[in-house]
Amino acid sequence: MSAPPGLPSPDELLKKAEEYLKELEKGPWPSHVAEMRKTGYPLHVYGVGLVARKSPWGPSVVKTKRLTGVLARIARDWVPGGGEEVHFRVFNTPGKFYPTDYLRKLIKISRELGIGLIEAVGQTGAIVINVKGKDVADKMIDALREIGTDVGGSGDAIRELNACVGPALCEFALYDTLHWFVEFRKDKRIHDAITVPGLPYKFKIKFSGCPMDCARANRADLGFIGVWKGAPEVDQELLRKKIENKEVDVHELVAGCPAKAITWDETKKELIIDGSRCKKSMNCIRKAFPAIKPGKERRVAVVVGGGSKGRYGPKLGWFIGYLKPDEVKKAIDLTFKVIEPWDKEAPAKNRLGDYILMEGLYKFIEKAGIDLEDTPRIIEKLPDNVPYRVLPEEERKKYADFAEKIKQVVKV
Amino acid sequence: MSIQLSYPVEVEKYLPEIIKKNYGKWVERKFHGPGIIEHVSETGDRVFTIKVALPPNARVSADTLEKFADLADKYGVGALRITMAGNVEFITTSLENALKIKEELEKLGFPVGGWGGALWGINTCTAFLTCQIAVVDAVSIGKAIGDALKPYFTGEIPLPAKLRIFISGCPSGCAGGIATDIAIVGMWGAPPRIREEVLPMCMPPPKALAKIPESQIFLVQVCPTGALTLRREGDKIKLTLIGEKCINCGRCKDNCDAFDYDPKDVGVAILVGGRMSNTGTGPRLARNLVPWIPANPPRYEEIVAIVKHVVEIWRQNAKPGERLGDFIERIGWPKFLEMVGVPKLAAEYMWMPDAARTYLLYRARGEVIFKGFRDAV
Repeated sequence: MSAPPGLPSPDELLKKAEEYLKELEKGPWPSHVAEMRKTGYPLHVYGVGLVARKSPWGPSVVKTKRLTGVLARIARDWVPGGGEEVHFRVFNTPGKFYPTDYLRKLIKISRELGIGLIEAVGQTGAIVINVKGKDVADKMIDALREIGTDVGGSGDAIRELNACVGPALCEFALYDTLHWFVEFRKDKRIHDAITVPGLPYKFKIKFSGCPMDCARANRADLGFIGVWKGAPEVDQELLRKKIENKEVDVHELVAGCPAKAITWDETKKELIIDGSRCKKSMNCIRKAFPAIKPGKERRVAVVVGGGSKGRYGPKLGWFIGYLKPDEVKKAIDLTFKVIEPWDKEAPAKNRLGDYILMEGLYKFIEKAGIDLEDTPRIIEKLPDNVPYRVLPEEERKKYADFAEKIKQVVKV
Repeated sequence: MSIQLSYPVEVEKYLPEIIKKNYGKWVERKFHGPGIIEHVSETGDRVFTIKVALPPNARVSADTLEKFADLADKYGVGALRITMAGNVEFITTSLENALKIKEELEKLGFPVGGWGGALWGINTCTAFLTCQIAVVDAVSIGKAIGDALKPYFTGEIPLPAKLRIFISGCPSGCAGGIATDIAIVGMWGAPPRIREEVLPMCMPPPKALAKIPESQIFLVQVCPTGALTLRREGDKIKLTLIGEKCINCGRCKDNCDAFDYDPKDVGVAILVGGRMSNTGTGPRLARNLVPWIPANPPRYEEIVAIVKHVVEIWRQNAKPGERLGDFIERIGWPKFLEMVGVPKLAAEYMWMPDAARTYLLYRARGEVIFKGFRDAV
């Protein structure tokens, strides 16, 4: 980007930048500037960017042994003093749990080979560590490998996977998200797609344990969300106890259901939930757990094509079918089934969602050969829509039987 | 050729002992004031988590992280958890220790809170810290909004339901997209300017350009509306930008460094009422409330005022447990706009059916709208 018009002289610019930075250190919310003062980050570049109202960074390259996950920037020519910035996207631990001994190792690396600055979580779900300079980049990768993590997940590749905390710390998890997350990472094909960028655009895979969708799987290119089929399970005994103890307000429970599927039987003191109307909004479960629990028939809903960056803008995913909670291997196969037609046909810089918008969901499902439980399909032409045609004998018989049955019920 | 990465792949290795023991056995949770949750397991074990806000963009120095690690060793179970929203959770086994951790953290200057009816956190993209395509600095906007909304995070002023704010520096929406309660997105405001001296780096050489069909040029492919086209000027073929067709999505800038802007055109759009979770009326993208207002560093008074105004309207009028999107759904958009004080915008929504829900299909220079809006606020 060229220098903005009317930029003051370098000395004045730096002075003004310092003023802006000081202003950002004030206030009750934790300040990023105060944090970065403790590190080797070139703050004057950031300050100049604020004054100029333009990003002070330009593209740069750094040569390392990794093809993805390494990003470098250099200050624009109008930034007095100049500066450079190299950062790594480092894989997070499952569930993003950091034992302190592991965290201390990471801090040590960041101090020795980096500038002491860490972004705890990037939007991909990776932890971002700033590197001291281009010459120590390879050393940093070796050091990170030694403590059992690595660098990767940028560019047109599969990005860092992301899972919600799941059964590790949450009672609502409907399948083992962390197990799925780890199984995906272990798979050779996924591993290769993370290390070598070869797809039309980025591809994100996320795992959410329940419909509350903490990992934001509905917004990923391929999301797995835990759901159940039918109505939630109600433990009437426990619920009655909860109502007596005033822990649960049953009328609020009934009124709060967005699908209006709950009715309260005052005489029997029983809660009835209509499973066919249940929208899985988790409203009653959140309020009365464990008296009301998700149903026994657990499934993992697969959604494809969400994302915020892409040709046609931000979109939510499309549902393409259910998997069972133990079918993680099938899910990995499904990933490549989904990727295949997109990789082959989509133009560069088109997300999976853009491709599905162009092709149509049904055509995409057909092309990818997706065949899951409850996969949406095109129904060629409904026979009921065609009034004129010769019906085969057995079909006529079916309708005759149907009429006979109705006749007995209605009794003319 | 592929390199074998050494990932963290063993779940067990990174889980604290008490969590490993109760994996998948949790049955209940209780709230102990803002920022502290108790998880109860069926084995009878109890775990307390304390949620603390990090600086915008989750930028922490090694020194601070070390202090966190010391705290986790001294009072906790020797482990931290980083959440998707850029907060840190400390894990401990007794309420006393939890309160001690809270006290120590507040001494360090980090607010504890953000569960239930509260602000859960502010996500921002990296913007001017590393990004080369951002048009506004989302990180300092995040800081300014955090300063103003801190009482909502720490529970001093309770909110009807969860509130989450994403701030992105450009329409790419890297801070988590627009599926959130309040999304603030940097807008170009005017069609980009082409820097002729850099453009050849992104285009095929002039001789080849004459032979390649237009549809095969990368930058032409990238533009979603066909605003970037090839024009013949004498015997030269040039890439030109048709301003009327441009929707300011920033995809050209994303793929080539040759596009530039004038800082005076740049502002932010504010979108409200989105949600990712299936609670209430279900997941949806946020809708455009303000298409353009200026972003004035370092304190961004205009943006902070509008965000605070919207939050206050929601806080004072919503039913308990009703998120911003549900609240707007219940009272209706025209009524909500009237409450915010932008009657002019209400008229615009009349001809803006579904398109209004994504900013990408809509562009405005905004001076007129903003003036009315600021008076209202």
